[in-house]
Amino acid sequence: MTIADGRAPNPTDGAGRPPAGDGAAGRGAGRPVFLPSDIDQTVFDEAFLRQLERLLLLLRAPVRGGLKGGRRSIKRGQSVEFADYREYALGDDLRQLDWNVLARLEKLFVKLFIEEEDVTITVLIDGSASMATGRPDKLQFAKRAAAALGYIGLASEDKVAVSVLGGRMARRRTALRGSGRVLRLLGDLSAIAPADGPTDLVAAARHAAAQLSGRGVVILISDLLDPAADRVIRELASTRSELIVLHVLSPDELDPPLEGDLRLVDSETGESIDVTADLATIDAYRERLTAWKESFAHLAARRQATYVDLATDTPLNELIFAELRRRRVLG
Amino acid sequence: MPFASPLALLGLLFIPVVVAMYLLRLRRTETVVPSTLLWRRLAADVEANAPWQKLRRSLLFLLQLLLVLILAFLAARPFVERPAGLARDLVLIVDTSASMGATDVLPDRLAAAKDASLAALKDLPSGGRVSVIEAGRTARIVATGTADLGRIRQAIESIRPSVGRGDLGDALALAQQLAIQSGDAEVLVATDAALAVPPATKVDAPIRVLRVGDPKGSRNQAIVALAIRTAGSGVTSSVFVSVANLDLEPATRRLEFWADDRLAESRSIRIGAQQRADVVVDNIGDKDHPVTIVEVRLVAGDQEAGRPDLLAADDRAWAVVPSLTPRDILVVGEGDPYLETALTHLPNARLFGLKPAQYPAGAVRTDGTDWDLIIFEGFVPATLPATPILAIAPPTSSGLGGVTGTLRNPGIATLGIDEPILRYVDLTTTHIAEARQLVLPGWARSVIPGPKGAPLLYSGIRAGLPTAVLAFEPRRSDLPLQVAFPILLANLTGELLGGSAAPAAAVKPGDPVVLAVPSGMAGLHVVAPDGRAVDLLPGAAGGPSVTYTQTDQLGVYVATPIAAPAAASGSPGPSTRPSTTPGPGASGASGASGSAGASGAPPKVVDPTAPIRFAVDLFDVDESAIAPGSERVLVDLGAARPAPGASAVPGGAADSVANRPNARDELWIPIVLIVLVGLCVEWSLYHRDALQRTWRSLAARIRRPAPGSGT
Repeated sequence: MTIADGRAPNPTDGAGRPPAGDGAAGRGAGRPVFLPSDIDQTVFDEAFLRQLERLLLLLRAPVRGGLKGGRRSIKRGQSVEFADYREYALGDDLRQLDWNVLARLEKLFVKLFIEEEDVTITVLIDGSASMATGRPDKLQFAKRAAAALGYIGLASEDKVAVSVLGGRMARRRTALRGSGRVLRLLGDLSAIAPADGPTDLVAAARHAAAQLSGRGVVILISDLLDPAADRVIRELASTRSELIVLHVLSPDELDPPLEGDLRLVDSETGESIDVTADLATIDAYRERLTAWKESFAHLAARRQATYVDLATDTPLNELIFAELRRRRVLG
Repeated sequence: MPFASPLALLGLLFIPVVVAMYLLRLRRTETVVPSTLLWRRLAADVEANAPWQKLRRSLLFLLQLLLVLILAFLAARPFVERPAGLARDLVLIVDTSASMGATDVLPDRLAAAKDASLAALKDLPSGGRVSVIEAGRTARIVATGTADLGRIRQAIESIRPSVGRGDLGDALALAQQLAIQSGDAEVLVATDAALAVPPATKVDAPIRVLRVGDPKGSRNQAIVALAIRTAGSGVTSSVFVSVANLDLEPATRRLEFWADDRLAESRSIRIGAQQRADVVVDNIGDKDHPVTIVEVRLVAGDQEAGRPDLLAADDRAWAVVPSLTPRDILVVGEGDPYLETALTHLPNARLFGLKPAQYPAGAVRTDGTDWDLIIFEGFVPATLPATPILAIAPPTSSGLGGVTGTLRNPGIATLGIDEPILRYVDLTTTHIAEARQLVLPGWARSVIPGPKGAPLLYSGIRAGLPTAVLAFEPRRSDLPLQVAFPILLANLTGELLGGSAAPAAAVKPGDPVVLAVPSGMAGLHVVAPDGRAVDLLPGAAGGPSVTYTQTDQLGVYVATPIAAPAAASGSPGPSTRPSTTPGPGASGASGASGSAGASGAPPKVVDPTAPIRFAVDLFDVDESAIAPGSERVLVDLGAARPAPGASAVPGGAADSVANRPNARDELWIPIVLIVLVGLCVEWSLYHRDALQRTWRSLAARIRRPAPGSGT
């Protein structure tokens, strides 16, 4: 299941029309979604996208955004959701005056409404070489998760930016806004390739943090296989944005199918170590892995971040509609 | 602890090899993983680029060292010594008589005797030699003076049960021959001591008896006699059976009579303790429904609820039914009361008489059939009839042979031992006053040779017709006064009538059987009850009979004549022995053929290809009495055993006992068990990961699938 390599015919294009461009896909009830043929139809079919449109990335607190959007803002604004009363002051819009209160109390009060603004959702994808391993591939899983979360953000009229961590830097793509940009988002994700050499995840995360502007949401999708991965979480959590860490590991890493006397070669650094993979060793590995993940979970909890550990064999449907909702990431 | 093969301890040199294999660094398989981050603290403690590694403490390693140690120990064959209970030269006699097939000990006494023999061999001194004798009808050595316990075991296992009477005396005589060659010998007899005839052979060595069988195991009933006689009417046959109860209690048994594998009759009989019961069943078969074989089975009675007796070999018996076709015999002569009396006792025969003057006119039968046999007594017609002929004292030469004179007091020359006509016939006290001097024709063989080559009785196939000529009148000898006369006459008429090729009575197991080879046939193809077949050819070409000795099974044997090459390629009709010397009767023979053609009826000839059947039955009350006897009878036949405190005279028996090596008990069984346990533990250790994985997999399948993990 891939994003970039899918060649299946478009099931929604049964009439033989050519695939529509970026502007063809978008939010709106009853509007068909046309996907280009290089997008995996089995993952992002129309029904799936319709379900995604009903989801919203949950934030721990209201944020202050830039443009008017679909999220509650700390500002009072023009939405339909009532917030409070305030005594009329000169210059207030008379249309907001509560005539019923005036008739009852003979005092002037204006109604205040929740302001809805957009936020910037920054998806940081770990593009290190270790992400290209595992069955299923961790990078592919990260792309699919990023695509789904990005689509949810676009459908919520948020700005979505994708940034790839590789080497010592983060390559940030142009932030996208509006559901009509979903195919651009998918295209950006499809173009992501794993880094050739070793990746300094801390340096790359620091670089990505520096690229953030204002408050928003940062979603880090990574296997965190870096000796200083805790510093990555600290760096990103120290920004003004809300941090969501999707810790992705393949089933082979969660339960290594190794047996016998082996020489393990690091996919990134090429370093090798000799291991006798008997059951005691495997059990010790599992214990260490559990402790390792728990350390991230505790760190994230201390830093007001959300930590979600995932296996790459988790189906996308289950990831979005069950796992992330259960973890209060989506609502 | 002593070792039988101490050089095998060199196997301990494999211990450094095992250690070296653990010191050698492993060749590891390279496997790419996303990161070695989580594996670093779990890495094996090895030095890179070093061919050797530190020897680590490993249970598997210790176990393999222990296994090498034990295997070297096992190969060295450790043993413990104890005083030998047997002599250095042991003669083991295993009784294989029929009573050893009794099942009072399971599976049977012979198997128990073998087991007891093998167990007793543990007391054999080191280097002791064993000879094994199978004591069946005759003694047979199956192993001679071997110290190889494997061969001895193989020899004992090869011993098979017999169904006949055993001869321990023969075996003891053989044991004596083996024992006298040794200064320290002992005879071990594995038997039930149910001895039909106690042996009397003395042995110059101590005899020890391994008695097998339940002392109370006497529950046996046996068929001890079976005979079939043609009923007085000459139409059907009657079966006579005698059943003996050898038990000390009365028994009810059921007798089943099977006619050619079909149940014809069933009788329930009650027999008192140590009693016999005779049963007669009439009307077994008739002319329209001829029966060839009658089998009698003694099965459990209804009251015994299917419980059989302890010996099965004597519960079945077989008999061959004689032909029911009545034979018409015409005697042409002045009348000999001895001859006529003997002829009237022939089964299935009707006797007719004519004076010579009434022949041939009086010999013509109203129904147009021929006589089955014509006996010319002191008379030979000018034209011989086309029937089998027995001529007694022919006065003149004829187609039956030449007569050259008269012999006074002729003596009987040496008789052929395989002559079927002389079976059971004792002529040693026979005196003949006067006989015709005959010339043996080419188609005949001399049955009773006389002086100067003149036969006193000859027989053969003349122009396809069985013919015999007796040179003397019975009344001119003392033969009619002897038992041999009716037997000789029965054998002679039997051959002339085509029925004497098979033994008249049942054959004992192991007894040789003389079978007559029909004229013109090359030999006999004999098939045993188990289907085992053998071709028997006479020693001399054209010999009259063959001897079959493999009668070691109970049941019915079938002998089929083998056609001679010339006869096989010729016509299937009756063949004749080729006549090389026409003799004085040659023209008469042709005349007889012409007469046969003139009579208009086809001549009665004997079918030479008809199968010959005979039965082998146990019929031995002594063997059927299976109650184990006392071993004292056998022990007393041996030499006295030297007393333990006897002074050791050099060369004496006590000296031999004193110098006897100890018995060795090799400890390989516990060592092998330890090795097996060690191998199992090693295997479990080696595969403990796989076993644990399998166990966890099974446990996971049994448990309900757990929800997705997460923090």
